[in-house]
Amino acid sequence: MSFIQAILDGLLIGGVYAVISIGLTLAYGVMGIVNFAQAEFLMIGMFVSWFAWAYLGLDPVLAAPLSFAVAFALGWLVQGHLISHVLKAPSVAQIFLTVGLLIVLENGALLAFGSQFRSVTTSYQTMSLSLGSLFVSVPYLIAFAMSLACGLALWWFMRTSWFGRAMRATAQNPMAAQLMGIDTALMYKMAFALGVGLTAFGGAVILPYVTVFPGVGGQFVVLMFTVVVLGGLGSVAGAVVGGLAVGVIQALSALFFPIQLQNLILFLVFILVLAVRPQGLVGASR
Amino acid sequence: MKRWIPIAVIVLAAAAVPLLLNPTGYWIRVFTFTLLFAAMAQAWNLIGGLANQLSLGHAAFFGIGAYTSTILLLKFGISPWLGMFAGGALGGVAALIIAIPTMRLQGHYFALATLAFGEVARVIANVWTSLTGGPVGLSVPFVPPGFAAYSFKQLLPHAYIALIALIIVTAIFEVIRRGAMGYRLRAIRENAAAAEVIGIDTTKVKLQTAVISGVLIAMLGTLYAQVAVFFDPDTVFNAMSISIRVALIAIIGGVGTAIGPILGALFIVPVEELMNDLFSAGAAGLSQLIFGVILIVVILWRPRGLVTVIEALRTWLRGKGAQS
Amino acid sequence: MSKTSSTRGGINRRTALAGTASLIAAPWISSTARAQAKPVNIGVIMPLSGANAQFGINSRNGIELVADEINAAGGIRSLGGAKINLIVADSTSTPTTAGTVAQRMISQNEVTAILGAFASSLTIAISEVTERRDIPLLTMSFADQITGRGYKNIFQVVAKASALGKAQLDYTVAIAQAAGTKIDKIAIMYEDTAYGTAQAEGLRAAAKAANIQLVMDDAYPLGITDTTPLINKLRASGAQAVFPVSYLNDSLLLIRTMRQQRITIPAIGGAAGYVIPDFEKGLGEFAEGVLSIAPANYDLDTSLTDRFRKRFGYFMVHEALEHAVALDVLVQAIEKAKSAKAEDVTLALRGAKFTGGWTNAMTGGAVQFDNTGLNVASIPVMVQWRKKELVTVWPKDVAKGAAEWKF
Repeated sequence: MSFIQAILDGLLIGGVYAVISIGLTLAYGVMGIVNFAQAEFLMIGMFVSWFAWAYLGLDPVLAAPLSFAVAFALGWLVQGHLISHVLKAPSVAQIFLTVGLLIVLENGALLAFGSQFRSVTTSYQTMSLSLGSLFVSVPYLIAFAMSLACGLALWWFMRTSWFGRAMRATAQNPMAAQLMGIDTALMYKMAFALGVGLTAFGGAVILPYVTVFPGVGGQFVVLMFTVVVLGGLGSVAGAVVGGLAVGVIQALSALFFPIQLQNLILFLVFILVLAVRPQGLVGASR
Repeated sequence: MKRWIPIAVIVLAAAAVPLLLNPTGYWIRVFTFTLLFAAMAQAWNLIGGLANQLSLGHAAFFGIGAYTSTILLLKFGISPWLGMFAGGALGGVAALIIAIPTMRLQGHYFALATLAFGEVARVIANVWTSLTGGPVGLSVPFVPPGFAAYSFKQLLPHAYIALIALIIVTAIFEVIRRGAMGYRLRAIRENAAAAEVIGIDTTKVKLQTAVISGVLIAMLGTLYAQVAVFFDPDTVFNAMSISIRVALIAIIGGVGTAIGPILGALFIVPVEELMNDLFSAGAAGLSQLIFGVILIVVILWRPRGLVTVIEALRTWLRGKGAQS
Repeated sequence: MSKTSSTRGGINRRTALAGTASLIAAPWISSTARAQAKPVNIGVIMPLSGANAQFGINSRNGIELVADEINAAGGIRSLGGAKINLIVADSTSTPTTAGTVAQRMISQNEVTAILGAFASSLTIAISEVTERRDIPLLTMSFADQITGRGYKNIFQVVAKASALGKAQLDYTVAIAQAAGTKIDKIAIMYEDTAYGTAQAEGLRAAAKAANIQLVMDDAYPLGITDTTPLINKLRASGAQAVFPVSYLNDSLLLIRTMRQQRITIPAIGGAAGYVIPDFEKGLGEFAEGVLSIAPANYDLDTSLTDRFRKRFGYFMVHEALEHAVALDVLVQAIEKAKSAKAEDVTLALRGAKFTGGWTNAMTGGAVQFDNTGLNVASIPVMVQWRKKELVTVWPKDVAKGAAEWKF
């Protein structure tokens, strides 16, 4: 029974991991950029949602679209004014530009919002559904459902809209896309903004069970990388598989090993997978 | 012969600096850490610059070095000088263990896999309490001063040890870069498949580089432990303040060049210190924020590192010389 | 750009006055008098950025409150009214940086003493510098090895982590017994930091001594975002009480997940995340009745701690209170030594008993350092959340309210 409980908890948590990590993989897929500041947008999404809850009385989960919008706008600016300048620079310069961005965003939040740990109180926070002897945490369930909805919306957008198709074309071959009349600079902005928006959306939906403070991104950054690399960098489907896999690995490892070793087990599995499949679980070999 | 002159001048100038500073004071500590981080970034530069493998897990070897010599000193009274070599050996073994599953990985996959390895090392150090003392950390005991015991009352000897370490690591870097191994690494970097065809065992060369780099940074871990005196797993196995910082220093300075890590450390360490001194008493977060902005500006200005400023300066001077 | 808590004009005028007065009175002491009226630099090293920023800022608030009050009341009398000049700097969360900052304060600012730095690892790193330079370091970090290394210049104003862990268990057993419940099975869960492991060690030893069975004893990684596995295990363990030792996010998560799984056994927190206003803000009604151990609590002397609340708008959290006490005691020592020289101040601190002022807000109503530098007068207290406030409920002789034990 505890085994099924662990799988269930792992899947619910993993769904959220997937949504917060999709953005990372999207920016990589389209531009080849690894964004170390991605988790800072999670923090921003959490803060937006917290303020909406505290001052507008909005449920943090319902404030998720607002978090998305704010991060989207911020991402648009960051891509247009910072990252676009290093697209042709060595990839190490790109990575460390985003490290600089990480430092700026974290400490900017510390300056702007202070160091307090902020948490919301909602009616469903301490509720759970019982299925026989299984417990399904309501906040986890809501976060999972929101993530699922968000993932489906993204999938629909990428499949059916002109923007989505143009973005995929840019990812496959920027040169050809440009020849076809696609404004690749616009596509880059779109991909980056959409990516950080999704991460911020994920930040809002986890607010009922994670406290926000300026350093909260640090708790997620390595985890997000694990998710996208495990799934395959640049692959959206990979991020989903990776997210669920990470959630389940964490939950199961806690069942068989001391929870203190949770991340150790996770990273060992991660490295093992990479040793066997260097392109990740879903990624195509390049 | 001529190009040795500027190098000799720089070394002599660097050797004179500590004499001008208060031997128990603040600036000599900053200077020592600057040299240490330069040496660490130089060790990283072997794999990051020559082999073009962006390792973000060097804290693993660094921490092993710091812990090995300190544990040997605490438990068996072994001089850190010997402990340094033991730590280097273990660091090399760890580098080999990490390199085997990750060598096949390309670009960002390698970076993120090594990042995960660094975290694995940190968790192990935290959990293996009977060996490492766990999260409470270790203090290097103060033994009667003496060179053989690697124990000094002042920071002055530490500054010179760090300087010598930097010179040695830089010399190793240059020798490798100019030698057959550097040639092979360049060939692999340009075109791995072609390198295989002309008979270069790419895996072997990469492994060798990774191990040398791991040994060197582990030995520097001992030096760091002796200066910092106290450290815990979070200090020496830290992804941000060791792994990423070391790579950052090399990259800000100019990756793949011998002078790059030195320039990077001379820039990053004092600037961070200065920001802390000037702004950290005010609003919380301000000093770090300004540091981050400076980083971004420098990367946007010189994406290939500060070394390009020197190159530009040299061309400009030469141009001037030709004109007159 | 060090932060000056006093107005510069005031210092200058005072210096001039003191100088003139001594010239008239006795020319041969004029030089010392002039030197004495100089403001006394005191270093404050705190984590003002990173994960512990909030605790660092709270601590700084407590210190600034006391410094401003002393300066407003005429400064340090035995030094001719010399003002306290706080030199504040961010230790970040890296011990090596904390050490470098200490070195800077000693060399550049010639500080008389240093206060800091909340987290034990930072404090230990600073102590390695202050010990070699013979500068007194006053701290409220409670790791055992702070005063366990035989250092001569360190002063710990609160009980050690092991004592805190022991009290967490012993007080709980006593409170339960008073309510007619006998405890024989407990669960411990703690974050795997220096603070968590040291306090868990104390809990474990106390449980063994009291013949109580540990049905669960789990460390978990710092920054955990899903505590469900821990609570699943707790549910199966059959524990009668759980002792979590953690910072805020984990504390909220643990309590909420327990509620989700309808576990109603009492949780007795291990200070840190359980005794700050954000705990109540986060949990609302579920905070009511939660017990926690604390090294000190603001309700022991509200005439003092209300000044903090008035100025900063929240109750005086324990780290602010203990740092306030540390500065008060330091100033008392400077008064006694009639000198701002570090070695004189250390001498005045060691083995002395300090009463009055902010020490009234400590258990025992005094601060007395033994030969290791530990404040032996301080004992931990058990506090309980009541209507958004923390009430001291145990030990009985200092309690401000009766402990409630109905779960």
